[in-house]
Order: sequence, then structure tokens, then C-alpha cells
Amino acid sequence: MVAPLLELQNIAKSFPGVRALNDVSFTLERGEICTLAGENGAGKSTLLAILGGSLVPDHGAVIIDGTQRQHFSPRQALADGVRIAHQEPAIVPQLSVEQNLVLGRTSRERRDAGTHIDQALADVAQMGFPLNAKASVRGLSPAQRHALTIARALAFGAKIVALDEPTTSMLEHNVEGVLNRVREIAHTRGVGIIYVSHKMPEVMSVSDKVVVLRDGTVNYTKPIVETSEQDIVRNMVGRELLSFKRQHPVPPDAPVLFSASDVSHPTGGGPLSLDVRAGEVLGIAGLVGSGRTEFLRAIIRADKGSTGTVSIDGKKRKIRSPRDSRNAGIAFIPEERKHQGLVLQVPAYFNVALTADRQFNGFGPIISLRKQIAAAEEAAARMSLRPANVRLNARQFSGGNQQKIVIAKWTWRNTKVFLFDEPTKGVDVGGKVEIYELIDALAKAGSAVIVVSSDLPEIISLSDRVKVMRQGQFVSEHTGDDINEHSLVANAMGIAERTTT
Amino acid sequence: MSQPTLPKNDAGEDGRKAPVNRRTDAAAPRKQRTLPALNLQALGIYIAAVVIFLIFGMLNPNFLTSGNLRDIAVSASVNAIIGLGITFVIITGGIDLAVGSIASFVGIVSATLMVNAGTSPFLALLAGIGLGLVCGAINGLLITKLKLPPFIATLGTMSIYQGFAYVVTNGRPVYNVPKDFVFMLNSYVGGIPVAVILVAVLAILCWLLLRRTVFGQNVIATGGSEETAWLSGVRVDRVKIAVYALSGVLAGVGGLVIVARINAAQTDAGSPYLLTAIASAVIGGANLMGGEGRIAGTLVGALILGALTNGLVLLNVPSFYEQIVTGLVVVIAVALDQGSKGWPLFKKKSPPKKEATATA
Repeated sequence: MVAPLLELQNIAKSFPGVRALNDVSFTLERGEICTLAGENGAGKSTLLAILGGSLVPDHGAVIIDGTQRQHFSPRQALADGVRIAHQEPAIVPQLSVEQNLVLGRTSRERRDAGTHIDQALADVAQMGFPLNAKASVRGLSPAQRHALTIARALAFGAKIVALDEPTTSMLEHNVEGVLNRVREIAHTRGVGIIYVSHKMPEVMSVSDKVVVLRDGTVNYTKPIVETSEQDIVRNMVGRELLSFKRQHPVPPDAPVLFSASDVSHPTGGGPLSLDVRAGEVLGIAGLVGSGRTEFLRAIIRADKGSTGTVSIDGKKRKIRSPRDSRNAGIAFIPEERKHQGLVLQVPAYFNVALTADRQFNGFGPIISLRKQIAAAEEAAARMSLRPANVRLNARQFSGGNQQKIVIAKWTWRNTKVFLFDEPTKGVDVGGKVEIYELIDALAKAGSAVIVVSSDLPEIISLSDRVKVMRQGQFVSEHTGDDINEHSLVANAMGIAERTTT
Repeated sequence: MSQPTLPKNDAGEDGRKAPVNRRTDAAAPRKQRTLPALNLQALGIYIAAVVIFLIFGMLNPNFLTSGNLRDIAVSASVNAIIGLGITFVIITGGIDLAVGSIASFVGIVSATLMVNAGTSPFLALLAGIGLGLVCGAINGLLITKLKLPPFIATLGTMSIYQGFAYVVTNGRPVYNVPKDFVFMLNSYVGGIPVAVILVAVLAILCWLLLRRTVFGQNVIATGGSEETAWLSGVRVDRVKIAVYALSGVLAGVGGLVIVARINAAQTDAGSPYLLTAIASAVIGGANLMGGEGRIAGTLVGALILGALTNGLVLLNVPSFYEQIVTGLVVVIAVALDQGSKGWPLFKKKSPPKKEATATA
């Protein structure tokens, strides 16, 4: 019996505080197209990074053509015939189409590249994008760039190709041509393809097999002819729920505290409007890239070119910068805690005081460190910051405790509105529950809270109400029993009509 | 002590925290008060300075005399003054290459005002400081409003301000600066040179500004993480403009001290101080990546450079070697600073950490 083209055996990978992959095993045959499905955070990206050699697994084996890979590096992956076409086309706009195709090749390989280039150009043309080899990539549309990325991944004798959301920037009629060509190449050249997409119709039409990841393990493997969209989605959801239940759901008579209308971000999306009541936690679910972060950033005007109006307690507030938003009583707790939430090399109390003007001044313009430390210590005690020493640098705290410091930046001020972006990213399970309790406490104290999260159990256990975003728009709103993984995922992926029946 | 209103005093109401953690709160700071890494790092530069002074003292008995030490302090004063401003700039993650030119420009303009226009020394001094402020603020505006990288913006204005300095007098030096002016900046008070007193006063003010004002904390935050500062409501553009303006003012003061010391204004008197002032700040622990820098460190850095120049002259080492030694000191100081954080060479190799891919 011939060894399969690719065999993954018991792959595991952890990051500080997060177990990204637990135990992943599956095989890929020559000429097979295998869809890798799973929610955000299920471990798809980590798996692709391991396959592409940029991450080393903690356990397990990657066996290609019967040979176990000993050494993990992007070069080794290239030598193994593995290509990863990322969601963001990795091409250099300053170079021509042809130059991009041979990018990263040695000069010796380039000498013999002629036939490969011709082949790749023919592939792109058959996908429906005839390109001139000498044309500059700068002038190409996003869809053309994606097609070029796909063709490049398939060229130069590739054996295993991972396509990560290859069709996001393409129109319906282009997608068909691309997928047809991809299938043809897989079958005629014996290339094994790992296909990652959230578009279920594409998955159903292009794949031979589907592998569903959930919580870092393979939850479901089936030939595509034996499954259905509903089955796949059902197996994606149902992640282990944390035993957290909000103690203080929003009271039914609570007035609207925060409203945003016609908010839009320069990168597109919107205009979006919503209201949040005092004491309410509004969850915003959606796929990565659906415009959720941009929506929050547009509210606080973090990026130039954002528009929209914001009212608090029924009064319109003029917001032109994060500073105005801060002074209006809006907090933004960003996703990238280490780069956007904290200054790592200074003490915790310094970080807490970052949102201050003169509040901690002692004599004239001279600040009182004593006051800063006292305020930080009070917040630290309330949140049980560990270690409970606010003089330590922010860098020295764990993810969950760093997040508490970020929250403390806002709680000492008269902050009424809290915008959380992935509040527990990179936080371990124990820390997560603490953050949830803090969010519950904020709501109980009468704040309006918005939580953007890709972690569905998190959204479900925290929210009084959930809005789902897709492609920069709110597509559905859920309350009560309608807040469940199945209906949220179905709406996020745009297959709601077919699954709610 | 007035506490701002806290919106949610009941965050810990489920009884899980308050009493227990209060106690650990009180105990923890004492236990963890010492931050060995930081202290060692800060201490290293002082130890190095002492060692350098002792070595020169052993090699030449004249080195550690009070007269010679005074000379060293005076010769280090210009580097120290300009270096203080540079320290602020470096802490924001920027760089100011125009300080030497600003020093020359301010010196020549103030001297011309006094000598040719008969302006009083005090007014000429104020005018010089004002000119430094304007020059620095222009740098800040180029960097924030036109989004020029600090290196490029100040590389450009370095040349422009130097050019203006030549234009003012057609490249000729200005001699016969009024005695009152020289007296203001180059005399002695109780045996201590005015320039040294000036450095001490400016350093204390700079330290207060950096460590004990909201502005200073914003400077550190901007350099530590500009995005964090911006999202926290810090007006990062204003902070940067102010920092370059401050650097310009201090460069101007440095230029005036040069004029008083040599009793004349030369069109390019400031240019040698550019690299040595940056070196002073860097030896003192300023990190070009931003977020780190120490006022006292910069002063010690300037003193070390002054001691090296002075000591090598006393030892009759040809002056060409001085530059080699200066360069070596900069490289060694920064290498040791990095070393205290762990050289990658000696670190255990670990796979590249990519948190983003874990959850994306």
C-alpha cells in the first residue's frame, strides 16, 4: 500500500495560557481536496502554520510521502512541496506578475522557471484572470491578486497546498472558475489540497472530504458526499461551555445608556447603529474580518476617516479622538493587550494612570505617585490582581492579570460605556472566569457593555443580547434562547435561511 | 486624599476577595520591592563611571585633582545640556539630528544680535532660546503633521538650520561677544562654574518634567507603545511636538554656552556635539526603540565622555584615538545594557512565538 501524501499524527501545540491544538490526526491523499472547517480559534491557523513550518508542534508527527518531517522551518516546508496561500495575498505590489511568481526562488531555480511560469499564467487565465507576465501587481484588483497567489502556490511542483479563505475578495462568478481550476489541478497533477473556507456552498462543491476542528481536536471527518452543511456546522459548534452564568442580567426596565448611529470605518463596513441599555451586555459575534474591531474603533475615532454620532444618556457627545471618547466616559479595551492596552516596560500603576489628566496631581503640575499607586492599589484589590503589587512592570503579569490592569485604566474614571474587543484572548480558563465576573460587575453597576468576541461560549454566557456581524453589517439580533451557537454561527456564515427551518 | 468616583464599588461583592486580598496587598509590595534587573542596569553605568575615573586617576595623578575634575565637568556641560533634550526625544522613540545645527544657529544669531545690533545679553539669550524652540517645534510639526520619519525630518532640518547659520554672517565667525554675556554663562559662583550649575538646574527640571508630570508620563507612554497611549487618550502628536521643541530649546542653550566658553560664535560650533550628545544619552541607558531613558544616566554618559577626552589628553594619547575610544564606549555600554536583558546569543533557542496565529 502506498503511503498517503500527508499524514498528521496526534499534533499538539500550546501557547502561553492557550491550548491551540490538542490532538489532531488526519490524512490527505494525492489529488484530494480536504476542507478544514472550524470556528474562529478552533486551531486551523495554528495547524496551517505547523504545516508551513513556521511553528513547531509540541507533540506529534507530520509525515509527507511516508517520510516524517524532522525539522520545522518555512524552507523545509518549501522543500517538502508544501505551500500555504494565506488569506492576505503575500505578494509584493512593486514587482511584476512574473517576478512575484519566482519570489523566494534561488537563481538556479529561476533559470529553469520558464515552464513553471507559463503553467502558472495558464492556470490563472483558466481561473478567469488572464494576466500579463510583465504587468505590475500594483494595478491588479484584490481578486486578481488572490488568483495569482493561488496559482503561485500551485506552481513549481507543489505537492500539498493549503488555501486559506482563497475566495473572500472574489465575486460569485469568479469563484466558480477558480474552484473548477483548483479541482482540475488537484486531480490531474495529484496535488493534495487543504481548503479553509467559511463559505459552505463552496465547501460542498469543491471538497472531497471535510475535517472539522473543535477545541483543538478533530471532531468530525466525513467524505463530502455523506454529509451536509447542517452536519458540518453542528459539529463545529458545541464547544465546551465554561460554567459561567451572569449573576446580574439586565433589568427589563433599564433605560438606553449608550447609542451609536451611522458609525462607519474608513476600511468599509457600516453605517451601523445600535443602542445599549444601562446594565446590559451586548455581544457582537461574527467571523474574523467581519468588521467588528473596526466598528469599535470607529466609535472612539481611533482611526482617521471614521464617521458617526454617539450619545450617552440621551445627550449627543462630540467625539473626534480617543481622548474625546475617554472624556465622554467610553472605555475601549483592545484585542492586542500588549501593544494597544499596555505599556509593558512601566509599572502597573503607571498604566492605570495613563487615562488621567490632572486627577493625580499633587502640588501644582507635579503628580503624586502616591495617589497614582493608591488608585491602582484600590482597583487591584477590587479585581484581585495577582501579584497584588502595582509597582511591578506590566510585563510581569499573566495575560488575565494584564487585562485587569487594562480594565483598571478605565474603572477609576467615571466610565459608563465599556467596549471590549476579545476580552479573554490569550487568557487561561481561570482568568477568563475572573474577567467575566468583572464584566458582570460593570454591568451590574449600571454600565453599558459591548463585547466583541470570536469565542462563542463567551458571547453566549456573557450577553443579554447578541448581534451578529457579517461583511461589515449587522445581519441578525438574538435574545433569550435564540442566543445559541447554532444560530449565531449560521448567521455569521450566512447560511441562516437553510438551517433555521 | 480625594479619590475620583468609582463606578462599581461592588466588583468584589461576591465575597471572594476583599478581606483576604487586602492582607496580601500589604505584604506583597514589601516582598517584591526589589527589582534587581532594573537596579543593576541603572547602577552599571555609575560603576563604569567610577571605574573609568579611578583608572585615569591611577594612570595620572593630575586627573583626580579638583581643578581637573572641574574642567571635565565644564567640558561635559554642553553634551549634558543637549543630551537632556535628546533623551526626551529618544524616549518617545524618535531621534533629533538637528541639535548640533540648532546650537550653531542659535549661537550665531544671538552673538550677531549682541555684537551687531547691540541687543542686551539677556534679551539675546531669550531670543536664542526662542529660536531654538521654533526650530525644534518645526521638527516636531514635520514629524507629526507631515508624517516624516524623525530621522529624515531632522536630517533635512540639520542641513537647513546649518545653512541658515552660514547665511546669517556669510560664514564668518562673530567675535568680541559682550563681557556681560560671557559672565552670565562662563563664570564661577562660589568656585563652581555657572555652566555646571546650569546643568544641575536643568537636569533637576528635566527629571521632574519626565518623572513627575503628566507630560513626562505621556512621553514615556508614547515611546513605550504609541498605540496604547493614543487609545488611552494621550495626544501623541502634541507630546512629540513638545519633545522636539524642548530638544531645540536645550540645543539652543547648549549653543549659547559654547559661545560664552570660546568668547565667540562660530558658524558650525555645534556640529561636533550632535553625535556626542546622542552618545551621552545612549550610554546613559536611553533606548532608541523608545520607552526608556534616564536623566541621571545622560549626565553620567556626558561625564564619561568628558573624562575620556580629558584623561587621554593627560596621558598624551594622540587625539585621533579619542574617537576610537568614544565609539568603543558607546558600543560596550549598549551591549552591556542589552546583555542585562539577555543576549539572544546566550538564550535558549525557542520556536518563534506567534500568538496571533493561535486564535486567528
